[in-house]
Amino acid sequence: MSDDFSQFQDAFFEEAGDHLAVVEEGLLALEQHPEDLDLLNKIFRSAHSIKGTSGMFGFNAVAQFTHKMETLLDLLRNGQKVVTPQVADLLLKSTDCLKTLVDAAKTGSPVDDETVQRLTIELATASALGGQPPAQAASGSKQASSPLTPSLIPEPLHHYTIAWTPPDWLFQRGLDPLQIFKELANLGTLSQVAVDTTKLPELAAMDQEKCYLSWSMRLETVKDRKAVDAVFEFVREDSVLVIEECEALSVKREASESGQEREASESGTKHASRFTNDASRETSGMDGEPKPLGELLVESGAVSRETLDKALSQQKRVGEILIEQHAVTPQQVEQALQKQKQQESVAQSKKTDTASIRVDTDKIDKLINLVGELVITQSMLSDLGARFEMSQISVLLERMAQLERNTREIQERVMSIRMLPIGTAFSRFPRLVRDLSAKAGKKIQLVLAGEETELDKTVIESIGDPLTHLVRNSADHGLEPPEERLDNNKPELGTIRLNAFHEGGNICITVEDDGRGLNRDKILAKAIKQGLITENEKLSDDQIWPLIFKPGFSTAEKVTDVSGRGVGMDVVKRNIEGLGGTVKIKTALGKGTIFTLKLPLTLAIIEGMTVRVGKDTYIVPLLSILESIQPKAGAIKTVVGKGELINVRSTYLPMMRLYDVFSLQPEYTDPTKAILLILETEGERVAVMVDEILGQQQVVIKSMEQNFRKVAGVAGATILGDGTVGFILDVRGLLEIARQGAPVAA
Amino acid sequence: MSKTALVVDDSPTMRQMVALTLTNAGFDVLQAEDGKDAVNKVTGGPKMDIVVTDLNMPEMDGISLIKELRKMASFKFTPILMLTTESAAEKKQAGKEAGATGWIVKPFNPEVLLKIIAKVLPA
Repeated sequence: MSDDFSQFQDAFFEEAGDHLAVVEEGLLALEQHPEDLDLLNKIFRSAHSIKGTSGMFGFNAVAQFTHKMETLLDLLRNGQKVVTPQVADLLLKSTDCLKTLVDAAKTGSPVDDETVQRLTIELATASALGGQPPAQAASGSKQASSPLTPSLIPEPLHHYTIAWTPPDWLFQRGLDPLQIFKELANLGTLSQVAVDTTKLPELAAMDQEKCYLSWSMRLETVKDRKAVDAVFEFVREDSVLVIEECEALSVKREASESGQEREASESGTKHASRFTNDASRETSGMDGEPKPLGELLVESGAVSRETLDKALSQQKRVGEILIEQHAVTPQQVEQALQKQKQQESVAQSKKTDTASIRVDTDKIDKLINLVGELVITQSMLSDLGARFEMSQISVLLERMAQLERNTREIQERVMSIRMLPIGTAFSRFPRLVRDLSAKAGKKIQLVLAGEETELDKTVIESIGDPLTHLVRNSADHGLEPPEERLDNNKPELGTIRLNAFHEGGNICITVEDDGRGLNRDKILAKAIKQGLITENEKLSDDQIWPLIFKPGFSTAEKVTDVSGRGVGMDVVKRNIEGLGGTVKIKTALGKGTIFTLKLPLTLAIIEGMTVRVGKDTYIVPLLSILESIQPKAGAIKTVVGKGELINVRSTYLPMMRLYDVFSLQPEYTDPTKAILLILETEGERVAVMVDEILGQQQVVIKSMEQNFRKVAGVAGATILGDGTVGFILDVRGLLEIARQGAPVAA
Repeated sequence: MSKTALVVDDSPTMRQMVALTLTNAGFDVLQAEDGKDAVNKVTGGPKMDIVVTDLNMPEMDGISLIKELRKMASFKFTPILMLTTESAAEKKQAGKEAGATGWIVKPFNPEVLLKIIAKVLPA
């Protein structure tokens, strides 16, 4: 396939993803409304589209599997089958399977062949009418797809006589007999073409749109009967068509009048073969293009397709051959394979990172409008500048204000292009909750709110997993079993509520359940057992709840396959913090728990505190600042090998002088006159000494790597209001430096 | 003068594939995303040399589109090919009754598409 087509592959995957979502959503809704025909049609259309396009790109596994699903869906929408919970479940499982197949086509990720096989059979079984066993159905279709009478030996010249009476509405379907003759002539030599005009009515009675003619002709060709039949593909069923093979001139009537009957009945089955056959294979045969050896052997009947497939599957991998020859050890091969896998996964992750984004045309149109306005403002300004007089100062100020407005609006629009409604991240949860409630034997309803809240695409993609974990956690630990709920005078049906909303420059996502709430005593006991805290520590509730985010922490009595292994909650916190966000817990025993995730709207802009060291300005990410203090004399100690430490309320923290780290000229070298910022990241703290705190502002992060090179202790740069460059501190990096105790040369 | 083709499919990928194949083969291609869109675009508009349409589409499906087109003077004898994955005879029959010239079975590759078009398109 040419490069022109590969550009559509990405579009295909995006589209397939959309269709899969439609299918899944539709199926979930269908469980509630099994009778909804519109819904079925919608699902069918999406499945149908996936099948069509995937086949087009040669993703045959996807196409074949979707075909099976489609068959069942078709029966359902035709009312030949009824939507039972079993059927819906099967279709949902199949949708999952289809997803893995599509992923496999996209990234080459592995596919569980067994599942595919099993679901294929289940789908066939469910589709079989009147209890027809699936084996029979499968073998039936196989027969249809195998070539009828394949032959490879160069064919001798065939002689056919053809008598054709087309249907009288031939022209009304846009068909032209001339095309048919041209095509026949392409097959070989067409001769003795005679037209029969006996049915032609009087001119007055003639309908000019009807065909009253019939023809007879002779055709000499090396092509077989099938090729001749193919010419008449679109008209055969409606024509009176007699094709007879004869030997040279002496007519051997091997196809007699009764043969015509047979021909007619046979055409039905031949059609079936055409529909299931790979169309490309069929035509390449017609063109005489080279085929793989195996294909030729199958066609000549020397081997069956099964034998060929088996032989192909036995082809050995290069690693296996090398091991057999003792050229390498299995371990070496294993290592090499691991390495290959790693490289592949790196390549894959890169691939997903550069994925495209779909933007509402409306947004782009507005942006183009604004750019137009910007151009106008610019030309007005340059016009003004060309012949400026002081009297025009008010006009200048007005234009400047206009420019500022344009710029701000464009900035907002451009940012909004990266914004997607969070609904895309929420959409997976109805299914998840349905499965969880079935698995845990609990009755759970999911309530979604604020799906239209927009946030950065990168953030949306990254919060999926943490959210999934929180929802699983709520379903598994938070909500009680039905009996327990009834005992506690709660409705049997538990509720998990997902909500998203804007708050300041942040987005808040809450995961709320009306379950049993966090158990203070249990958490404390567990934390003490794990040595996270000591027995005598007095902790407030707000200090206790975050303990569940510690690695390895789980209070579940038994481990289920859903949650309870103690991995996850720490990952949730780490992921959210990685996005510059925070996780808060609010809980009431017996009433429920609310997890609140607070995330920045975008990753390109951070809230920072500007600080000054000497003449230079630095930006510290606001999220990592715990407090700022002015230390008292004597609070600072120097420890050999560890550098300076500062005593903050009887905890010793490492202290860094920022001017030392970046080799600057400070205003103060005495810590008691300067300001100390206490920064925290991933639970570690460090005190950083600066001259002065200037203020707080949003800054746009510019990459250091792209514009200069990586500098330890600096996360990026930004352009400040006065046009100078300010560096954004990398708290993690500063901690590393503090640990090594060596200043870097800036 | 190059030939004109109308390509109707609700799946953008499929539509663009077909459109690209035809463009590469020298056609001027008009795209429409469903039957309604197609009717809107050709009503009082350009005459097409060939129409390639999907069958399963929202708004107006392929069969209705073919019927509508056949009612229009400029499309009375235009070859109309339907894209189909149905092996079901009644779909094909419905298409023929509506006035479809022929059918292309999905999946197909570009060569097959052009071959079938050559089959029905007068030179």
